Amino acid sequence: MLIKVGSMIAALLAWLGLSFLFPETVLPGPWQTIRVLAENFANGDILSHLTATLGRVLGGLVLAMAVGIPVGVLMGVNRLAEKTLDVWVMVALTVPSLCYAIFAFIWIGLNETAAIVAIGLTSAPSIAINLWEGVKNIDTRLFQMARVFNASRWVIIRRVLFPQVLPYIMASLRFGLGIVWKITVLVELLGRPDGVGFELFYWYQLGNMQQVLAWTLLFTLVMLFIELVILQNLERRMFSWRPEVRI
Amino acid sequence: MDNGIRIQGLTKSFPSPRKHEAAHRVLNGLDLTIEDNEFVCVLGPSGCGKSTLLNTLSGLDRDYDGEIRFGGRPMTRAGKPPVRMGYLFQDPRLLPWLSAERNVDFALENSDVPRHRWADIKDHYFQLTGLQAFRRHHPHELSGGMAQRLSLVRALAIEPDVLFMDEPFSGLDELTARRLRVDLLDIWRRTGKTIVFITHNSYEATFLADRVVVLSQGRIRREIPVTVPRPRDYDDPALFAVSKEVSATFIAAAEEAERARSRP
Repeated sequence: MLIKVGSMIAALLAWLGLSFLFPETVLPGPWQTIRVLAENFANGDILSHLTATLGRVLGGLVLAMAVGIPVGVLMGVNRLAEKTLDVWVMVALTVPSLCYAIFAFIWIGLNETAAIVAIGLTSAPSIAINLWEGVKNIDTRLFQMARVFNASRWVIIRRVLFPQVLPYIMASLRFGLGIVWKITVLVELLGRPDGVGFELFYWYQLGNMQQVLAWTLLFTLVMLFIELVILQNLERRMFSWRPEVRI
Repeated sequence: MDNGIRIQGLTKSFPSPRKHEAAHRVLNGLDLTIEDNEFVCVLGPSGCGKSTLLNTLSGLDRDYDGEIRFGGRPMTRAGKPPVRMGYLFQDPRLLPWLSAERNVDFALENSDVPRHRWADIKDHYFQLTGLQAFRRHHPHELSGGMAQRLSLVRALAIEPDVLFMDEPFSGLDELTARRLRVDLLDIWRRTGKTIVFITHNSYEATFLADRVVVLSQGRIRREIPVTVPRPRDYDDPALFAVSKEVSATFIAAAEEAERARSRP
């Protein structure tokens, strides 16, 4: 913890130092950036942009998990599914996220649905791969044990398979979030009239580096909070039975 | 109720991994009768069909030729086996995310033991195995010996008529294994079960069993009754004498298997 705080202070100092070397239009310092951020908050519409973006992140993540988890689990437990799907998952992973966004906006229209579809489909392959690898690691000897004790198929799925897949679902949730929020900003830049991505692009076009940095800082802090505080704690609580959870 | 086991002409083949090659026959028309409440140890070199025998008896593998009957009731191709079975694996095979007690509940939930008796049964076996203080612990907090004792509690809690044990003490240190063998005999004497115990340790087999069955190439090579009276002393020279005979048969069986394998 001390190391983390220390490295953050060091980074802040480095930023401060570098900002003296460059003009304000290229690299504004931390104080200016924070001041701009505070002004944005005072002006009010920052929250509506942030909630629009977070809504898309959430929608995209849900869609990515809804597609990625079943595909990944199926590939992990069924050899035929694995052989049929693995090349397609690779193809889906290779297509650039920009292409998904363009396809979605052209085929579905410049609307919210298209944005969420683009975000969800871009991140689904990574989640599927994550789960596919995870499911391959599960302990099949426990299924034999369950069968010896007369557990039904449904009981085995629910009480022996699911708890073993759950850590991988949680890991892919965190992992997926990391991908989803990056894509969301890109999708917003391309085809939405609001959100953090839209704002970033707007200020970029105006060449206002203070605003660009302010929005980057805000979004990064919010995402770090979700990732480090909410998800990590949730995971720690869920898997307290495991011998080592501290990272 | 009679819980003897009658095995007739049990044959099991596995398809060869290479095409155009004959299937590998693991069990070869095996006949064996195990009496109600008898403790039988099955010994044999690796690949002799010990584990396959246990898999077919326990209903894990129902794809075989021949017949298995429990007290006259045949094992069917599907559905519940005709008797209540407990099973101890070589490794504890506990569900790591459940506490010791919840692991036992998992077995109980899938059995037909009425729920109002669970508490008494669990108290009884946790007490008997000295795990009373560890009921809320998770498997990773238990030592290897304790984890195996917990899986013994799980196997006994469903009050099985027949207990199958697949080299359950081979992964433990000798001191722990000895203690568990004595505990097992004590539990068996008090509850009366038919036990089929697989091992590759001839002294363990002799100490535990009423009868030692030596398998070789999917058939019974020899049955050696152990008539040393119970309770038995671990260092009894009479046991040692029988164990020597078991050993000799076991080694002969292993050599025979070796010769058969090297034959083209």
